[in-house]
Amino acid sequence: MRKLIGGAIYLLSGALGVLAFIYPFFTSAGALVQRGAAHAQDAPLLTAGLVGLSVVALLVELQGRTLSAKTVAMLGVLVAFTSVLRFLEVAFPMPGGFSPIFGPIIIAGYVFGGRFGFLMGTFTLLASGLVTGGIGPWLPYQMFTAGWAGLSAGWLGQASEWMKDKMPGPAHAKEEQRMAQDVSDADVIVLCGFGFVWGLLYGAIMNIYFWPFAVGPAAQTWEPGIGLGKTLARYGVFYMVTSLAWDLARAVGNVVLLLALAKPMIKALNRFRRRFHFQVRGSHSDLTGLENHA
Amino acid sequence: MLDARVWFVWALTTLVAASATRSPLYIIVLLLTTMVVGGTCAAGEGRRAPLSPLRFAMVAVPLSALFNALTVHLGDTVLLHLPSWIPLMGGAITLEAVTFGALNGLTLTVIFAAFSVFNQVTPVRDLVKLTPRAFYEGGVVLSIALTFIPQTTRSLQRIREAQAVRGHRVRGIRDWLPIVVPLLVSGLERAMGLAEAMVARGYGAVCSEKQPFRTQALIIVGLMTLLAGWLAYLFNAAWSAPAVAVIAIGAVTIGGAIWLTGRGVNHTVYRARSWTAGDSFALLGCAVTLVAACRGRAALYYSPYPVLTLPSFDPLIGLAMLGLLVPAIVTVAREDAEMHRDPDEGNGFSKQPQTSTDHG
Amino acid sequence: MERYTTDGQSTERRSSSIRIDRLRYTYPGAQQPALSEVCLDIADGEFVLVAGPSGAGKSTLLRCLNGLVPHFTGGRISGRLSVGGHDPLEDGPQALSQVVGFVFQDPEAQFVVDRVEDEIAFALENAAVPPAEMRLRVEEVLHLMDLANLRDRRVETLSGGEKQKVAIATALALRPRILALDEPTSQLDPQSAEGVLQALVRLNQDLGLTILLAEHRLERVLPYVDRLVYLSDANHPPYSGPPRDVLSQVELNPPLVALGKALGWNPLPLTIKEGRRFASQVPRHKAKPAEADRRGMGGRGRRPRNGHGKLGDARHARFAIQDLHYAYNGKPVLQGIDLEIESGELVALMGRNGSGKTTLLKCVVGLLEPEHGGIRMDDESLVGQETAEISRQVGYLPQDPGDLLFADTVCEELAVTLRNHDLLGAPPVQPDDLLARLDLEMLKAAYPRDLSAGQRQRVALGAITVTRPHLLLLDEPTRGLDYEAKRELVRLLREWQEEGTSILLVTHDVELVAQAADRVALLSQGEIIADAAPELLTTSPLFAPQVARLFPGTGWLTVDDALDSVGKNGGATDA
Repeated sequence: MRKLIGGAIYLLSGALGVLAFIYPFFTSAGALVQRGAAHAQDAPLLTAGLVGLSVVALLVELQGRTLSAKTVAMLGVLVAFTSVLRFLEVAFPMPGGFSPIFGPIIIAGYVFGGRFGFLMGTFTLLASGLVTGGIGPWLPYQMFTAGWAGLSAGWLGQASEWMKDKMPGPAHAKEEQRMAQDVSDADVIVLCGFGFVWGLLYGAIMNIYFWPFAVGPAAQTWEPGIGLGKTLARYGVFYMVTSLAWDLARAVGNVVLLLALAKPMIKALNRFRRRFHFQVRGSHSDLTGLENHA
Repeated sequence: MLDARVWFVWALTTLVAASATRSPLYIIVLLLTTMVVGGTCAAGEGRRAPLSPLRFAMVAVPLSALFNALTVHLGDTVLLHLPSWIPLMGGAITLEAVTFGALNGLTLTVIFAAFSVFNQVTPVRDLVKLTPRAFYEGGVVLSIALTFIPQTTRSLQRIREAQAVRGHRVRGIRDWLPIVVPLLVSGLERAMGLAEAMVARGYGAVCSEKQPFRTQALIIVGLMTLLAGWLAYLFNAAWSAPAVAVIAIGAVTIGGAIWLTGRGVNHTVYRARSWTAGDSFALLGCAVTLVAACRGRAALYYSPYPVLTLPSFDPLIGLAMLGLLVPAIVTVAREDAEMHRDPDEGNGFSKQPQTSTDHG
Repeated sequence: MERYTTDGQSTERRSSSIRIDRLRYTYPGAQQPALSEVCLDIADGEFVLVAGPSGAGKSTLLRCLNGLVPHFTGGRISGRLSVGGHDPLEDGPQALSQVVGFVFQDPEAQFVVDRVEDEIAFALENAAVPPAEMRLRVEEVLHLMDLANLRDRRVETLSGGEKQKVAIATALALRPRILALDEPTSQLDPQSAEGVLQALVRLNQDLGLTILLAEHRLERVLPYVDRLVYLSDANHPPYSGPPRDVLSQVELNPPLVALGKALGWNPLPLTIKEGRRFASQVPRHKAKPAEADRRGMGGRGRRPRNGHGKLGDARHARFAIQDLHYAYNGKPVLQGIDLEIESGELVALMGRNGSGKTTLLKCVVGLLEPEHGGIRMDDESLVGQETAEISRQVGYLPQDPGDLLFADTVCEELAVTLRNHDLLGAPPVQPDDLLARLDLEMLKAAYPRDLSAGQRQRVALGAITVTRPHLLLLDEPTRGLDYEAKRELVRLLREWQEEGTSILLVTHDVELVAQAADRVALLSQGEIIADAAPELLTTSPLFAPQVARLFPGTGWLTVDDALDSVGKNGGATDA
């Protein structure tokens, strides 16, 4: 039951994000045009606000009432780690829009679960934004995307574990494999694909922030009935001109980074996973039976 | 200095005002106010300014103008004609389109400049302290991250040296592994130590908990309301006002969830900054500008299409926009007062008198 | 000094005695219990020193006091515990934080916020202390620990000793009656360590705080300690009692105590002052061996200045630094260093913090480029060469050996270095032999970072010596090691010396220098102000080891020196 509720929250929040992305394609035939050009600039602001609220809602849900000290400390340190990597990007010129932060975020989500991944994504962007002086109206979009990258990586991790369980084979062999904390090549390939997709998605979502200002709906009010097709085409050109090359560079960069980094990083994180998922079972008066649960 | 929240509101107000208009005169007014405020308040800080607004403008304005000119072929003043077989870009390149693009770029510049000032003027610590109660843990995470970033950088340097001493050369991306992996692992080890230290000092829970159902319900309802309201807003012009109202309800609901969460957090704040008169004035100024931006929509509207005309200027609205200058005025007034203060008088905060502590 | 006021709200006095009854604890996944049938009784206001070899369970015992064990670590626990009237097993660390303050070993890993004042306030914020009282407590604690002038500083700009003081202050903010410290000075240099320990003594004597301190450097605190708890291993109950009683029963001995036990001094002296009484009665012969002839575990293999070491296949590795200059950001750090090291010689480099010792090492190994000056090894100049090239001949052990380690197993670590130098096919030293020498054979497949500090250091040493370097540079190698690990290190160094390796050792540890060094060089303000045999140490009160202070003017540096001269070296006592 709890899972359903959590799922509902993810769904709604994601829907807001998706809507933020696709709404410009529908505006020409829709209400924005009829409302008149004077109010044309409301939409981008509204969008930014709504995406921000979506992130906030997820934060409230996932941050819960209490995060354990271990989670908080791990998050803090990993966010610092990823931010430092991001500064490296400034020091060494990297191709296009490549940002080394997605690799660690996806891997962390993959190993520790969606909740951790989401928090890590949002806070990495926030922390490095704070340090580099990059707070601005683009931040909700950045946090949204990075957070979802981490969140979906968590689902990917769970799915992959579930699939490994379901695969044919003796139970003890699978247990051994889990104990050995080995990362198979298949896992790495999947993660790379993931990184590629999110590299592109990030660029696309960031365009939502930019697009209404570059070619606002104000222009379209003068071409009534411009139609979905032409709007899409115009967006396509916009995308190609401004960001496709950038995004492709980012996506490819993610793949390269993940190929190099995934195995060792997952191994390292897995070692800490044991110590991390400790839970106290039983009542306090029954402490003789406290066990560590992997 | 002014409260960090007030600065945030200021930057947001500039954002809203700039987005509301494409009229060059108003944009210039806003740009000037931003620059004045930046000049007076951020001058002494010397903090992070990654890109100066001027350089941003030099990129954004021409790029925007170019893009708009190439893709939008409306307007009467034709500059040149591209052959129409080129997809999308073929057709007339008009002055109006160029102007519109340039105006878009200018708007972006104003927004960028406003947030640039915000970044420079608010110390990072203050921003982190701003986190509302409900996000207390998030604030702690951010604190830890900010504390560990310099440490991690130093570790990085040390590890690079340590690996170099083993004969390691950095040639390709794989060669970064022996540097990145120890960095990660030592960071995680430190995290475990830090968690222990936090728990030993009484930090909250040893285990994470989930939100109670009440809060989750509020979040779901809030999100659904937001979604519904937004869809209505987008697809039916007649429902504008009620749609906005619905969206507002959704936002309030989520605010309620935040408030509920905040109630469960039990902690006090050490150095709460007290609200000053300057803060109130600044907020007032922003409010004036906001009201003008919302009410004066018709006056703010300007479009170069179909023919380039001289934009109109309503002095009242222009004046209202000067409300954004209040932070600069407050800062200058304060500096003035400090200079004229009697130097024998005690400083603003009473320092501890230097007692001789005996080391018994 | 302000006294702590009892909490106005509670009318009963909180007792601060600690009672442990048959405590037994096993870490999760471990075979052997870490603590077994521990019974302990500690009265209010005692200063307790918890000692024992590495892995004996000192940290575990301390963590039981505030409930970190088992609430944070998991595992199985049984027995009863009463700490200041509370039961940590039942109440958990959050409740105990106001009864027991805890300070950890690593000064880098205890701080959440970057400013000193805010960090102290963090604990108070968590406890939801009202703001007015918070300010009072912060002031209190800043003055207690003498940190008032550091209040606005960022924590990362503080020295290690200052950081630990801030950590103590943070623990004290919640007004606990008991303070538990887990090796707080092991990462610090002797001066900072002194400062921290003195602060603790003050807290105990002036405020009556009960203090439990786990430490390796016994000699500093012994005089102030009311009770010594010695944990030998999990199967033997801990020794607990006044320091002299426990010391006479156990093996752990700082030099003064070792000497006292060997010569039968009674009551066992704990300070130099007490020792002098006995020392004046010891007949002193100035006899010092002219030729280095004492080999073996206890002896010091000292070589005369101009001789050559035992030549196996050791090449004549002569190392020289000439007029080395280095400046950082315009400020001169090294101003004309001249140093020569023969083959098989061990030179100790000492000096205050910031005098440029580490900078010198880094210049030698190529991490920093000197402004001018020469560094020659085997008549070949090292200046301007790439670090990766230099490291084939020169091994450098950084202050934190953990910076080197990233492989999955110990033997993989050695292979990494070989691969870096393209020597995997033809290693100058067989990895297995090296591992045997380092006493790591059993741990070949272990994950290096899980090992103890001493073992980690040996793995790192393996990683840098697998190319058979002619010169070894060691930067503060004894930080955080217990007596046993130090002895191991000295033995290893001696073995390498006998093969002809030159060693340059940067350290603060006077006892180590007394045992292992052939020569001592003192670095101050960028210049070498003294360069002589270790007897130099005896002349300066700053650097004299305990034995030298006890017997001034004799030139004795270690326990063995003294015992040999007296004629009582039966061979068993360790220095």
